[in-house]
Amino acid sequence: MSDLRYDIHIASDERELVAIQDFRLAESSITVLFGESGIGKSLSALAIAGLLDRDQLDIRLNGREYRDYLRSVELADLRKNGFFVFQEPSSHLNPLMTLRSQLREGALTKVSDEEGIVRRLWRHSPSSHVNEILSVYPKPYRPSGGEKQRILAAMAFKKMSTTPASAKGALFIFDEPTGNLDNQLRDEFLDLLVENFRSRHCTVLLITHDYSMISRFTTSYADLAHKIYYKELGLERGRLQLREFLPSAYLGWVKAQKAHALAERGESTLMKLQPNVRIFGRALKVTRHPAGRKPEPLSMAKGSLVYLKAPSGVGKTTLVKIMMGLLQAEELSMVLEGVEYTQRTLRQVWSTHVWGRQMAMVFQHADEALNQNARVKDVFAGLPLKTPMNEAAITRTLSQLFDDELDREFLRKPVKYLSGGQKQRLNLLRSMVLDTDILILDEPLNGLDFQSSVKVLANVEDKLRRGKSVLVISHNEEIFDALTMPEDVYYLHEIT
Amino acid sequence: MVIDSAVNRTRLRRIADGSDARWLMVWIAGLLVLWIWDAIFLNAPAFDAVQTSFLNSLATGIMVVVMALFFGWVIGVGLHLLERSEARVLYDIASFAVDILRSVPQIIVVLIGYVLLTLLLHEGTIRSTAGQLVWIAFAIAVAVSLEVSDTVRERINHFRTLDFVDAMLSCGISETRIVNVEILWKNSRSHLLYKLIAIFGMSVFLQCSIDFIVSVGLSTDVSLMNFPVTLGSLLANVDSKQDILAISNLFTDPGYISVILVRHLQGISVAFCIVFTLLCVYMIANGFVRRHRLV
Repeated sequence: MSDLRYDIHIASDERELVAIQDFRLAESSITVLFGESGIGKSLSALAIAGLLDRDQLDIRLNGREYRDYLRSVELADLRKNGFFVFQEPSSHLNPLMTLRSQLREGALTKVSDEEGIVRRLWRHSPSSHVNEILSVYPKPYRPSGGEKQRILAAMAFKKMSTTPASAKGALFIFDEPTGNLDNQLRDEFLDLLVENFRSRHCTVLLITHDYSMISRFTTSYADLAHKIYYKELGLERGRLQLREFLPSAYLGWVKAQKAHALAERGESTLMKLQPNVRIFGRALKVTRHPAGRKPEPLSMAKGSLVYLKAPSGVGKTTLVKIMMGLLQAEELSMVLEGVEYTQRTLRQVWSTHVWGRQMAMVFQHADEALNQNARVKDVFAGLPLKTPMNEAAITRTLSQLFDDELDREFLRKPVKYLSGGQKQRLNLLRSMVLDTDILILDEPLNGLDFQSSVKVLANVEDKLRRGKSVLVISHNEEIFDALTMPEDVYYLHEIT
Repeated sequence: MVIDSAVNRTRLRRIADGSDARWLMVWIAGLLVLWIWDAIFLNAPAFDAVQTSFLNSLATGIMVVVMALFFGWVIGVGLHLLERSEARVLYDIASFAVDILRSVPQIIVVLIGYVLLTLLLHEGTIRSTAGQLVWIAFAIAVAVSLEVSDTVRERINHFRTLDFVDAMLSCGISETRIVNVEILWKNSRSHLLYKLIAIFGMSVFLQCSIDFIVSVGLSTDVSLMNFPVTLGSLLANVDSKQDILAISNLFTDPGYISVILVRHLQGISVAFCIVFTLLCVYMIANGFVRRHRLV
């Protein structure tokens, strides 16, 4: 079987952005590409699909000038028979057309099974809701991120179903197609992908941070093992390398995590949140049951890892912000280390006693949570530590999650020049370095590669061993289900 | 290291290519040409007066910029911290006081400053030229500092909607540090610098306007003669007014231009200095906005 092979070089006026030799995609196969955020996965995929602006960037593909590649027959084939699903769906949708018209635009008009594809991607929604969504314009009605991702996926699957089997240039690129979907919908997406792949034998590049896809592929589609390749884009000695990723590395690690869940933990309760919370006129309740039967207080014992689950948009992040006192609720009752906090607790009390002292929180989007104009070492300035961190202490802290580049130059680097994965590690370390009894992690593995995720979780485990408590919100259910005791899993529901 | 030096080179090139840098050079070059011309053709006492007035106005403008930055920063941050605290009454009082100051036209505030200066001169509290200039700068800074405080508050409010403020608060970083260091120092320097460039221009304009107004005299004992000479006061001087009026001869005798540029230099130089400075400050501010993409 022949491979699609690319040497990619992309640079801006200021710096080199991507330099990869031998970026290989096996034809008529699925390549799952992992790697930290900002390492160059999307940029490489966009370059291959001919979607980068040659006036803004200096691009060479397989030794050719980009303008020559844009005129090439191979790209023309790719555009005719392939499809690109963007990471940020908003940039791909036309604000002046309804979603339904976009779903039937151009080559997609011919496809008859649109209804079937859409129904499966909205399996848990009533058809009236689906019709409502399809008849809106992307602006100003603004469908949610998950809805937009499903529209793009539906377009890709429609295109796939019209592509002749093993057609030349039938490369389907999915860039983080399930980032906004819950696990059930993600599985539905993967099922549709595999079904179409089986019938069309096209080439698929699936870019993702979700390593648990490996479990899904290996358990549900074991017969396709020889057609699915796992690769990871990472830095080796300062150079980008595309290396094979062994599924067993992830599967073995997840299996090993199950043992840790049996570890002993303390009995004393650090925090107890009453199950009913109200904010912005919405009522939320916490339960231990996925169906939300009986409200129960969310309780965090010393050394426990608590996992809070809910579908996207219910208000997990809102709830933890309320628990941190960052949002003022209309109804709240929480006891933290013997002191009661309610909706009437003054902001001064939260700032003096709670923030950075008893509780700390890691926000989910490192890009927004960090000051982009700060330098790396400035991220640790102003923290309520017994002694302020000097450069040596910062370097020691960074070395917990950073392998290399820990020289003075790195400490002085502006945050905005870091990759997404580096930002996320910095974001995590800022809170982890604090000696708080409770740490809240909102999507802590966002944008991290496997090795970094392992290190982050080792860090979390170390905190738990030292009697600290950690509350996690994460879509990486497979990982956190393995790490959490069943009695520490809570579900958040909106009361309608 | 190589990348960093490349980035620095690019940064320097951008600054050099920017129209703000070009207009700054034009301003300096224009003033230099004027100075040489005046040194050759203007009589010594008038040349001294023009030089002193320019330096006094420049010094006042710089002091206004520094004081307005200080007052504006303190007012903006103070109002923000009061608003975020539980002291609502204090916030309401402070914001009412600021709104009252806002409701008074800037020129009236400066005029009140001149009236107070007159009283202080009467009492002999302020005697030195430097002291008078500092007082004038103070009056103008009070009048224009709300421009800075509004920018400070806009920037803080903009960043408050972003996660990084809450993320830092939740790590125990103090709000004072977040506002002063993270938001204003690290993320708003360009915005504040742009505002300060504009304030320098406003300061020149307000000084000249007020000097013209007070040229009729503030009391029987105190007039422009008691105040330090500035561009505005020198322009309000009878000799300068005659020089400006001489320009009207050009309508009937265009050849008179050669005489104007030699014989009526005091008024022409001061007027040119004011208009040229205001034009350059305006162009520098616009160029700065474009270079830093502030709008």
